[in-house]
Amino acid sequence: MLEKITSILREFKGDDSLVVTEETTFEELGIDSLDSVELVMSIEDEFDITIEMSADTQSIGDLIKSIDAA
Amino acid sequence: MTTTELCNLLEIEYPVLQGGMAWIADAPLAAAVSNAGGLGLIAAGVSSAEYVSEQIKEARRLTDKPFGVNIMLMSRNAEAIAELVAKEKVAVVTTGAGSPSPYIKLWIDAGIKVIPVVASTGLAKMAQRWGATAVIAEGSESGGHIGETSTMALVPQVCDAISLPVIAAGGIADGRGIAAALMLGAAGVQVGTRFLVAHECSVHQNYKDKIIKAKDIDTVATGKRLGHPIRSLKTPFSRELYSKEYDSNISNQELEALGKGALKLAAEEGDLQQGLFMAGQIAGLIKEEQSAQAIIETLMSEAQATLSRAASWAN
Ligand SMILES: Cc1cc2nc3c(=O)[nH]c(=O)nc-3n(C[C@H](O)[C@H](O)[C@H](O)COP(=O)(O)O)c2cc1C
Repeated sequence: MLEKITSILREFKGDDSLVVTEETTFEELGIDSLDSVELVMSIEDEFDITIEMSADTQSIGDLIKSIDAA
Repeated sequence: MTTTELCNLLEIEYPVLQGGMAWIADAPLAAAVSNAGGLGLIAAGVSSAEYVSEQIKEARRLTDKPFGVNIMLMSRNAEAIAELVAKEKVAVVTTGAGSPSPYIKLWIDAGIKVIPVVASTGLAKMAQRWGATAVIAEGSESGGHIGETSTMALVPQVCDAISLPVIAAGGIADGRGIAAALMLGAAGVQVGTRFLVAHECSVHQNYKDKIIKAKDIDTVATGKRLGHPIRSLKTPFSRELYSKEYDSNISNQELEALGKGALKLAAEEGDLQQGLFMAGQIAGLIKEEQSAQAIIETLMSEAQATLSRAASWAN
């Protein structure tokens, strides 16, 4: 899962050497509320799911939890 | 007469919204637009909740027609203003520069029609999922904060992505623009730059003069490096901002600080040196100052003529 998200993020940020862990936050990645909407859309397309995002979704770990819950 | 489903939805006569414009779109402008049959918007910008509260009162004094409030989500007062508009039950809220997800339920529960500004199909789809009433698809021709995609390309894609009414914004300043937007699938338009030269618009006279003088190639987008580009008229100041963007000796913080307060200086003081005169690419089309009512009447009669002519092309 982390691998797949990493590859989506690399594409998203245009950075092929980007490395993230579950602890990495969106803020650290320079992803604001608008960017996170685009990111979630890419993930939904990739996994063919619908994700519930909330203000509490702040790290890659949070994101993985919401993907698991979808 | 040109009417669309948006007119019923927002209880307005003409499918024309006056865009929220920080430091500029206040109660007198919004009320004039609403009185003329469009939908006027008070811009909250980075102002305080008290300011917005006064403006809502003032607009209610000046018109009994519906009007709205535009909330700039990057403002640190966004939350207080979000609560204020819910309490005041304004007819419409539009949102810019961010994701309105934390507030949509609050507003819908208060009976408010919620119309986020979107610059991508992704945010449009999310807005629909969150329960928005309609969206404003704003192309990069617009004045102010802009996205990447032009109105021509964005509007039909947003129309296909969602089932809500879509309002087109960016580059629309006459009836041909309205007709074109409707042809792309929009149910209405939002106009910003043209209303800068409305008699009821309180912006400094220098600002209006610059809009009237502007040609097609007279705007520039700055701030791309900071992730939130802004379109404004070319001036010595905006050219300086533009060139500093490509100067690696200047940090992002310095760049950010340079632009701070510059729109206010242009709007309130007409400062030709340090002001940032935000305006859209369509400024070149705008030739005269008029009342809000004259602007809307002109727009709608041109749209009507263009649309009637269009029918004769298909046979
Ligand atoms: C001077 C100026 C200030 C603006 N400020 C805001 C704002 O505070 N919030 C917002 O959502 N849009 C803002 N906009 C965008 C307008 O609401 C509108 O969408 C845009 O002007 C439409 O494009 P046009 O300028 O080509 O008509 C601003 C535009 C201008 C020209």
